Amino acid sequence: MLSPYRVLDLTNERGLLCGQILGDLGADVIAVEPPGGSTARRIGPFYQGEPHPDRSLFWWAYSRNKRSVTLDIDSDEGRAILLRLVEGAHFLIESDPPGCLAGRRLGHADLASVNPALVYVSITPFGQDGPKAGYADSDLLVWAAGGPLALTGDEDRPPVRVSMPQGYLHAGAEAAVAALIAHHERERSGRGQHVDISAQQAVTQATFGTALATPISWPATRRVSGGFRYGPFVIRGVYPAKDGYVAILLLFGSAIGPMTRRLMECVCEEGFCDEATRDKDWIAYTELLFSGKEPVEELERVQRLVAEFTSSKTKAELLQAALERGLLIGPVTTIDDVVASEQLAARGYWQELEHPELGRSFRYPGAFAKVSAAPLTYRRRPPTVGEHNREIYIEELGLSEERLAGLQASGVI
Amino acid sequence: MAGDLPLADVKVLDLMWVMAGPSATRVLADYGATVVRVESTRHIDTARTMAPYYGGTPGPESSSFFNNLNAGKLGVTLDLTKEAGRAVLLDLVRWADVVCESFSPKVMPAWGLDYESLRRVKPDIIMLSTCLMGQSGPLSGFAGFGSLAAAISGFYELTGWPDRPPAGPFGAYTDSMAPRFAAAAILAALDHRARTGEGQYIDQSQAESALHFLGPALLDCTVNGRVQGRAGNRDPQLAPHGVYPAAGEDRWVAIAVGNDEQWQALCAAMERPQLVRDERFASSSARLAHQNELDAIVAEWTATREAEAVEAALQARGVPASAVQDTSDLYADPQLNHRGQFVQVAHPVHGTIVVEGSHFRLSRTPARIERGAPTFGEHNQHVLETVLGYSPERIAELAAEGVLE
Repeated sequence: MLSPYRVLDLTNERGLLCGQILGDLGADVIAVEPPGGSTARRIGPFYQGEPHPDRSLFWWAYSRNKRSVTLDIDSDEGRAILLRLVEGAHFLIESDPPGCLAGRRLGHADLASVNPALVYVSITPFGQDGPKAGYADSDLLVWAAGGPLALTGDEDRPPVRVSMPQGYLHAGAEAAVAALIAHHERERSGRGQHVDISAQQAVTQATFGTALATPISWPATRRVSGGFRYGPFVIRGVYPAKDGYVAILLLFGSAIGPMTRRLMECVCEEGFCDEATRDKDWIAYTELLFSGKEPVEELERVQRLVAEFTSSKTKAELLQAALERGLLIGPVTTIDDVVASEQLAARGYWQELEHPELGRSFRYPGAFAKVSAAPLTYRRRPPTVGEHNREIYIEELGLSEERLAGLQASGVI
Repeated sequence: MAGDLPLADVKVLDLMWVMAGPSATRVLADYGATVVRVESTRHIDTARTMAPYYGGTPGPESSSFFNNLNAGKLGVTLDLTKEAGRAVLLDLVRWADVVCESFSPKVMPAWGLDYESLRRVKPDIIMLSTCLMGQSGPLSGFAGFGSLAAAISGFYELTGWPDRPPAGPFGAYTDSMAPRFAAAAILAALDHRARTGEGQYIDQSQAESALHFLGPALLDCTVNGRVQGRAGNRDPQLAPHGVYPAAGEDRWVAIAVGNDEQWQALCAAMERPQLVRDERFASSSARLAHQNELDAIVAEWTATREAEAVEAALQARGVPASAVQDTSDLYADPQLNHRGQFVQVAHPVHGTIVVEGSHFRLSRTPARIERGAPTFGEHNQHVLETVLGYSPERIAELAAEGVLE
C-alpha cells in the first residue's frame, strides 16, 4: 500500500518496529547503520546462541522488509551522502537522545531545508522537551515511568515487567501511526513536519486510562498477581487448570455480568457451587460490594469455587467450554504452544523467510493484518550489515566503484 | 470539523466497541477525522459500564473509561436489528471513507453488512474488521476481551516470577497494541485508495498483531527451539537490573545499569567507591554472575530513600532510574503534564472532564481535543440532517419507529 514511499531508518533498538510496520505496509525502508552495524544487532537471543551482528533474533524480529546501508553520518562525506538520501526520502526515523542529531546539524530543521516535505520522526524515552527529556533510559525505566509496571505483579513482591521488553515496541508502533498521520497531511500540503514520540507516553496506552481515576477521586487500581486490586476487593485473573493456568475475566455490570452468570452456571452444573451462589445478582454485583451489602469475603469464596472448578479441567477443556458457552476464559499459553497453534496455522500466519547466508529458512510471525487488495508481504529477510551498500550507493545514488572503495577504506561506509 | 487538522478530510463510520477498536479511531479523531460512532442503547457498549465513574455512580454517561476512549467522536444511536436501521447505516456507508467494526465474526454477515455487501453500496470503501483471533480459523468465535487474547498469545506466560504462577500483564493487554496496527493499516489503505481508487478489506486478528511484541521470543522458539519463560525483572544482558524497594508503603524504584560507566556512577551515588574495584562486579558478565549479591546491595541503599530521591540522584549521574509511578504519580508527573497527557474538555452532562491528550506531538499540526465522548444519540440530529440530508419528517418517523435506539 505504501510502495511509492521511501523511509530512512536511523533508529537503534529504541525504534526499529516503526520502520518495520511501514515496510510491512509496502514502503521501501533503508536501515542506515553505523559502520559495523546497529547496536540493536547486539541484543539477544542469537541464532544458535552465538552473538553475531547478523544473528540477533531481536534484529531479525524488527528488521524484515528493510535494506541496510552502513554510513558514518558524522564524517563530512557520510553527511553529504545522507543528505542525498534525504532528498529522495519521504520519512526519516531516528531514536537518538533529544537534540543529538540537531547538534550534528542533522535535526529536523536542517533536513527540512534539504527536503521540506520530509516527515521526520524522533523516538525518545520522554519526548523532545520537558523536565525528564534528558533522562538516561532503558526499557524497564520507560515501563516504570509510564505506569504499566506499577500495575503488574504479585502484591508481596516488587512490581514486575513483561520479560520480553515492551516499552520501545509501543513507542515504535505509535510512531508508525503518527508518521502516517503526518504523511496524510503532507499529501495535501506538500509539507513535512517533526513527529515527536515519547516512549513514556506511548506505554501509558497499557494503563488504559487508570490515571484518570485521580481527578475524580475514584479508588486507584493496584497490582495483584494475575488480576488487580480495585477499591476494597481483589479481582483474580489467573486460575489453575489441570495442566497449567487459564485467564478468566470475572467481572460484573450489564455487559460482562451475564458472562459471569454463564460461568457460574457451569460451576454449578459441575457441582462446585450451590444454586444460591450461582444466582447472585452478577449485574449489580459491583454496587453490592461497594455498598457493603455483599461482604468482600463472599467474592473471595466465589473465586475459590471457580478455582476448584477450573482445577478439575484441562486448558483445552476450558477453552472448549468458553467457545461453546460464551465464557470469558483464555488458556495461558506457553511460547511453544503459541507456535503450534492450530488457529494461527489455519490462517496461514507464519511466514517462511530464506536466509541464504545461513543456508536455511526460518518461520517468522506473519502479517499483522490480512489486507484484501494490497496484502502485506514479506519481501526481504532482515538484512546483514551493509548488505545493500552497493545496490544503493552505486546503482541508486550513482557513486562510482572507486568512490565506494575509497569510502569503505576510510571507514565512512 | 477543523479544516487545518491532518485528517480533516477523513470520514470514519465506527461500529466498534469496548477498547481495542475505539482506541484506534480515537487517534484519528484527535487529528481531525470525522468519526461517527454508531451504537445501540439496548446492547450498550461494555465500556460505558466500566469504572471509574464521574460523580461516583455507575451509569451509561458516567464512565471516565468510556469518555477517554471516545473523546471527540460523534454519536448516533441506531437499532441495527431493524431493517430501517440498516438502511440508515448503508447511507452512512455511502458517506464514509472507512467503516470499522469489532463484533465477533458472525454479526456483520448476519445483518447483511459484510464487506461484499458494503462494497456494492460504496465500491471503494475501506473496511476494517477487528476481533481477538481474526475472521477465520477454528478460534474465530473466541470472543471476549484483550486479557484473554494476551493469555492465549503468550504474554501471561512471560510475565511474572519464575517460581510463581504467571502474573500476566495488566488489563486487556492486547488492546493496547492492536489499535496502533489497525490505525496504521487504515491510514495506509487511505493512501492506497487516493492513488489507485481501490478500497480494501482489512481483517485484523488482535492476537496476530500483538504477537509482534513477542517477536524475539517467538523466533527463539522457531529458530533455536528454545522456549522462553518468565524471568521476573532480570535482563539477560544487564545487571543490576530490577525494581528495588523505596521508603514508604509499596514504593519502588526501577534501576537498569547498562554499562561499566553507569555501574561506577551507581557506586559513587551509593557512596560505595570500593565496589568499583570488587572483582565480582568488575564487568557486565561478572555482574550478571553475581546478581543476587548486587540486588541486595542496591536494595539496601534504596530502601531508606524516597523513590523520587533515588531517581534524581541516579539520573544526575546518568544512571537510568525511575520511580515506579502508580496511577496518581502519573497524574502528577511533571513530564507527562508538560507533554499535555491530560486535558480538560467539555461534557454535556458533567460539565468539564479530564481525558488523555494525544500521546505524541506533530510539530506543525498538533492534535485538537475539545470534547468528551458523545452521550447516547447526542449527534443523531446533526448526522441525520446535516450529514445525510434527511428531512425532519423522515427523522421523526425513524424516531417513532424506535430505529434511533
